[in-house]
Amino acid sequence: MLEMLAKAAVASQFPGFSRWVFGQQHEHQHTADSTPPARQANYQPSYFSPSEYRTIDVLTGLIIPNDESPGAQEAGVSEFIDFMAAHGEKQIQQPMREGLAWLDSAAKKNYRTGFTSLSTEQQTEILKRAAERNGDGHAFFRLIRRYTVMGYYTSAVGMKELDFPGLRFYSESPACPHTNDPEHRHLPAPKI
Amino acid sequence: MPKDIYDVIVIGTGAGGGMAIHTLCQAGAKVCALNASRRLNPSKDFRNHRKPYNMPFRGFGDPTKRDKWIGYMDNEYTEGIWEHEIAYTTAPGTEWTWRRCFAVGGKTNFWGRSSARFANIDFRAASRDGYDVDWPITYEEIAPYYSRVERMIGVASTVQNRPSNPDGEYLPPMNFRCIDRILESGAGKIGIPYLPDRIAQLTVPHAGHPSCHYCANCTEGCDIGAFFSTPWFFLPAAEKSGNLDLRTNALCKNILVDENGRAKGVAYIDRNTKQEVEVYGKAVVLAASCVESARIVLNSKSRHWPEGIANSSGQAGRNLCDHLYGTTARGYLPQLLGQPSFPDNVSSSTVAWMPRWQNLDNPRQEKFIRGYSVYPDGGCSEFPWYFDEIEGFGRDFKRQIKRRYPTPVSFYIQAPTQRSDANYVDIDPVVKDAYGIPAARLHFEWDKNSLLMWEHGKHSCEQLLRSSGAEYQGSAKEPDMPGTSLHETGTLRMGNDPKRFVTNRFGQAHDVPNLYVCDASVFPNCTDKTTTISILAFTLRTSEYLIENL
Repeated sequence: MLEMLAKAAVASQFPGFSRWVFGQQHEHQHTADSTPPARQANYQPSYFSPSEYRTIDVLTGLIIPNDESPGAQEAGVSEFIDFMAAHGEKQIQQPMREGLAWLDSAAKKNYRTGFTSLSTEQQTEILKRAAERNGDGHAFFRLIRRYTVMGYYTSAVGMKELDFPGLRFYSESPACPHTNDPEHRHLPAPKI
Repeated sequence: MPKDIYDVIVIGTGAGGGMAIHTLCQAGAKVCALNASRRLNPSKDFRNHRKPYNMPFRGFGDPTKRDKWIGYMDNEYTEGIWEHEIAYTTAPGTEWTWRRCFAVGGKTNFWGRSSARFANIDFRAASRDGYDVDWPITYEEIAPYYSRVERMIGVASTVQNRPSNPDGEYLPPMNFRCIDRILESGAGKIGIPYLPDRIAQLTVPHAGHPSCHYCANCTEGCDIGAFFSTPWFFLPAAEKSGNLDLRTNALCKNILVDENGRAKGVAYIDRNTKQEVEVYGKAVVLAASCVESARIVLNSKSRHWPEGIANSSGQAGRNLCDHLYGTTARGYLPQLLGQPSFPDNVSSSTVAWMPRWQNLDNPRQEKFIRGYSVYPDGGCSEFPWYFDEIEGFGRDFKRQIKRRYPTPVSFYIQAPTQRSDANYVDIDPVVKDAYGIPAARLHFEWDKNSLLMWEHGKHSCEQLLRSSGAEYQGSAKEPDMPGTSLHETGTLRMGNDPKRFVTNRFGQAHDVPNLYVCDASVFPNCTDKTTTISILAFTLRTSEYLIENL
């Protein structure tokens, strides 16, 4: 998948073939395809154990939280991760399991209890250390973050979060509206 | 004696084959067309209107199948369309990635649609700089055919008055986006042209075809035929004429010859029955695409043609050229940070390009000869692939991803390789495909000239990013793998001297006058432009010449 994403970074930049596998397009209201699958209320993980799965779910929520817009948990990202692992995505099988075990041991070492029993502040503290470039568990951090991003921004929720322009219909090729500002140096202040 | 003799047998239904079929059938010729795979069903096979969350693997693909994909267009959306069964090999030291679409219509189902005309600066390049050979044709001769093709297929662009990039007959152009306006300003400051590309994609309804609905997914095929492909534009009328017998799953094995060494038909394998079948015709049009056509010629050995049909020159398979492709620079535009999303990529098209600006007045101005073009791209895309450049997690990580969303820009070079003895196609002495046909073997390396263009392109694009106020983030470490462009040329080159060229100025084999070649294999060299519209224009000319000589 690393190689794939590296290729995607290049391929997505190639204009003639700008569409890479992370595809998306305008809303066809009349097609069955336009209805995104809803998150299942009682999802039973098929690759990870229930306890591993709960940890993954918490981690995805810490990485992409529910704030002004829904986050990774609302988008069902943990289901995507379990599905990919169950279908042979090797990078998130054993390496993910080892990472989750490390996370639990770090929680026990620092707080004498498992990761999912910690407060959000304590969980964030552990993840912050893993997010440091030379921190313990950094490889695991990048792995879980990568798959969280993949799951979130290919979900209906994530595409709405970015306001992906392919969710609308266009009758002509969209034109830059800033006709008097070719260098775009006087745009309205960003809201984000 | 065979009982059915067609006027013409056409091998292939892509740009060349499709145009030949179209022209011949309209003229009343009885045509048997051979296509190596099945017909596609747009409503079933083109998954272009599916969102990632409607795909089982979100578009990332089944992990157990992904290793078999060839290149980036072969993916979860196009499963079952690109060819995997027919083997090819590479010589030691050669890297070549070769995506082949054997479905009816070939690569026109999924092509990139950039459609600039070749110019006299391309046809007479050897006279200007002394390297290799001129084309046996002038721009003035081929220009009317380009015009007719543009009227048939619809090309959107503007009049630009650059002799190196001749103007055609165009539909209204695609509009410039915010990223184009910014980069255009930056390009103007350093003297690089930044112009609307020539795009075979319908900005208005044209010739009975609807205009584009900007769903952004052309490389999965168009469900309404709003850009040119032979199944949407040529084959329906040809079938309606009653003159076409289109045989699918008919994998060409070799061209058959009569007692005089002239073409008398084609032997193919029916991939359903695995049986060999022969069809006979008064003429044969070879349009299987550059490398595959060379393979067929080299596999067509007989008493008359021990080195392959029409290959007395020994040049069949030689002179393989390709476009060097790669990301010369990428960065982001801080001007657009945090701005609302903009539909930059809904046309899925080369809205703008930077046509060759090097060596125009003085052919030896640069360290390299000839020249390259660059395609810019960027803005809001389907996936925030830049996420790994942002540190951290949580609310701020999510916010930074959104802030950066409209800002990425990048440049992609299209640099022609020059003819070299090292680059050619031959037949693998050992490996055969699944039907027992000897496989094509590729020998290829980048030439020094195209690598100098690559370096020059990286420098120019970095300058352009800086003059546009962008943050420069580097380039790809090396060009993409050879074969990526799908713009191979030159294995059956056209030229006036039968000792040095396989085909003449009409794409007719020097040795075998009833054998015609209608794909990019006849092009004597590669230019800074794409090949499809030129395949169409040259094939239109060849097909009309064929009718006169039938």
